[in-house]
Amino acid sequence: MNKIREIKNELLNDSYFEIDHKSGFKIFVYPKENYSSAYAVFGTKYGSIDTCFRVDGNEEFTTVPEGIAHFLEHKLFESEELDAFARYAKTGAGANAYTSFDKTCYLFQCSGNFEASLEILLDFVSNPYFTEQTVQKEQGIIGQEIKMYQDEPGWESLFALLRAMYHNHPVKIDIAGTVESISHITADLLYECYDTFYNPANMALAVAGNVTVEQVLKIADKMLKPKKSKNVERKFQIEPESVVEDTIVRNLSVSMPIFAIGFKERIETPCRSLKETLESNILLDIIGGKTSALYEEMLTDGLINTTFDTEYFEGFGYSAHIFSGESTEPQRVRERINKEIEKLKKHGVEKEIFERIKKKHYGGFIMDFNDIDSLSNSLIGSYFNGDGLFDQLNVLESITLEDINNRLNAFNIENSSMSIIKQG
Amino acid sequence: MGEKSYIEIAKDVKLLCVNSEKFKTNVIDVDFFVPINEHFAALNVLSSLMGHTSKNYKTFTSFNRKVESLYGADFETNIATIGEKVRIRFSIEIPDDRFSLDENSISEDAVDFLIDIILNPNCENKKFDEENTAREIRFTLENIEAEKNDKRAYALSRLRQLMCENEPYGIDREKLEEDVRNLDSEKLFAAYESLMKTSTIVVTACGSLNGDMLKEKFCEFAESIPERQAAALSTVYVEKAENIRYFTDEMDITQAKLVIGLRSGMKNSEDDYFAFRVMTDIFGGGPYSRLFLNVREKMSLCYYCGARLLREKGIIFIQSGIEEENYEKALNEILNQLEIMKKGEFTEEDFNSSITALCDAFRGVGDSPEAVCTFYNSQVFDKELVSGEEFAEKISQVTREQVVECAKRVTVDSVYLLKGESGNNE
Repeated sequence: MNKIREIKNELLNDSYFEIDHKSGFKIFVYPKENYSSAYAVFGTKYGSIDTCFRVDGNEEFTTVPEGIAHFLEHKLFESEELDAFARYAKTGAGANAYTSFDKTCYLFQCSGNFEASLEILLDFVSNPYFTEQTVQKEQGIIGQEIKMYQDEPGWESLFALLRAMYHNHPVKIDIAGTVESISHITADLLYECYDTFYNPANMALAVAGNVTVEQVLKIADKMLKPKKSKNVERKFQIEPESVVEDTIVRNLSVSMPIFAIGFKERIETPCRSLKETLESNILLDIIGGKTSALYEEMLTDGLINTTFDTEYFEGFGYSAHIFSGESTEPQRVRERINKEIEKLKKHGVEKEIFERIKKKHYGGFIMDFNDIDSLSNSLIGSYFNGDGLFDQLNVLESITLEDINNRLNAFNIENSSMSIIKQG
Repeated sequence: MGEKSYIEIAKDVKLLCVNSEKFKTNVIDVDFFVPINEHFAALNVLSSLMGHTSKNYKTFTSFNRKVESLYGADFETNIATIGEKVRIRFSIEIPDDRFSLDENSISEDAVDFLIDIILNPNCENKKFDEENTAREIRFTLENIEAEKNDKRAYALSRLRQLMCENEPYGIDREKLEEDVRNLDSEKLFAAYESLMKTSTIVVTACGSLNGDMLKEKFCEFAESIPERQAAALSTVYVEKAENIRYFTDEMDITQAKLVIGLRSGMKNSEDDYFAFRVMTDIFGGGPYSRLFLNVREKMSLCYYCGARLLREKGIIFIQSGIEEENYEKALNEILNQLEIMKKGEFTEEDFNSSITALCDAFRGVGDSPEAVCTFYNSQVFDKELVSGEEFAEKISQVTREQVVECAKRVTVDSVYLLKGESGNNE
């Protein structure tokens, strides 16, 4: 039997349905009145950081080549007969997929033929088909994808920073791996990763838009077969509190130096709570957001331009507060940021500023509930993090000035790094 | 949405408000259209400056705090060339009024803010504030320079410049940089005045906001700028390329970028547009297209290879990222696929896939307020405004024969390769 639960939010006047499907898969349906299209995501909690693991009953851990989760994402579109793109071409849906550090998601959007497209999605993700020949063909395509990213300074800057901050954690490896690492991928390895991570306990389906629970269940009942869930144990080497390098410099073709400064957080548990994440986002706005004194000062002094940005970067076993931008004097930018953090630690955050930024985040929360693509992806993301989609509002309301001041402890200048990409 | 059309609320001021209760937010775009003229460099600076400071919000902090007080509004200003029209956009997205935490209407406050910053820039005595001017010139120069960081965009921009060197569309980035460097606070003010007096103003809004309020406020806004006379907006359509020109640049890069510019043969933005749209899509649109299936999937030459039609200029751009040594192989295959289009040798399946995908996508444009605004705004100078549904209808009426006829009109103008520096190839 399928178990269905409706989750409502009064402020938004919206609700979605959380379903424990009889096959063991978790399904979310978020109907949007008067929308013409629907957006579906079928995702697995398996990303680039999952390079060493074992399943229940096995003694040995398996280490797989870097970039294999992303490679698998590409290859899953193929089957013995028609590949998934050719099948979607008949329904008209726009389809795609992506792999991140901690998940792989397959998606489509359509305004017609929803049921046929959902059937394709659930079918091709549930039925892998790899041969040595098709694996080889993909090495050429992904090789070009990797090379494309190597020319993107923003991307290179992030990974240079991650390598400077992390000794062991696989977050420092490129999501797509390297041309060398993917050359070791074989059909057998792909099957092994597939069998380990593509099973009900590790996956979820989310659909939002012009869709009903009945429509989704009709196809899910037909396509999703009960499958034994595997208990996967991921192995991460212990990550020291310290960073690897203080500063890392790389040469690329850039108009002016690009920098990223990261404050590595000391963490005792692998995952950050929703509250910690929201606190961090508020705090980053307070320190270096567009209404901060620091931002205006650095702009006026010619140290940064409007590309300056902040990000709370976290996932299983890693967490950092990142400031990035373009500057001819990145070292001075870093000094200013450090000074600002010291100042806030000493004097605390002003109440008025905190309230203002909190109101901004309230607005941001509401604005996230229009687009069916971000809704579906957020449903999957929150579920994998153990949260509900609407939780954010209550948690946001509960955050106090004291919480924010405490959160400042996550910034340790000793454990920070900087990457600089400059013209060679 | 079928009966929608822009209404002229004042001379050369058009307004469209698409009401929909289904969204949580409202979007308001205020656009100023002018031809590419002597003020182009200054307009680049203005579009940035006017989104950062104003007479009533003289510092970044005060300006951004105002934006923040509108419930963290998504606000931005930008400049774009749409064919040979320049568009300066002031865009804001805010939560709907029903989420206001007090008595104030968020949308009314947002409209007041937009009008205020447009009518009251940071100027005195016919000059912009000096410090602001200097800072914004720096931002603009850095921004132009930064195009080199995005190799895909840079390669496209270079091809555009080389291919259209004798048309206003072929903006010379070096000349633009020089012009920006030579600006001062007075020239900036002259450009601002000219923008206010000679632009066609287009306001596009979507959400559950009050259309009467918008109309009233923007009428008043238009009346406050006396003696407006919009400049004529036109674009040169070069129908045919005489012969293929080849260009190469070198840069320290890992992956070479191949960009090809085609003249579609369109005489204006409405000339067989829907058939050209389908033709370009079969050729290089989605993952069902000829270029994707052959250059990427069959030959494994690249990660991306696609074609895009620029309706406003009648040009088709093809872009791909390849190994430099595969340049000829990729180019030959792309041209081979174009020949297949011209000979009508694409399959029935290619044709149907494209029609089905395009129709499906256009039927869904009404599901985000930004998409609604962008979709209608792109038609503001057309004879009639069509809805997503009507657009899909027109696409579905395109025949195979029309597609082949369109393909036959296409000529290859320029081939551009951005490659690694000699002697430094990886």
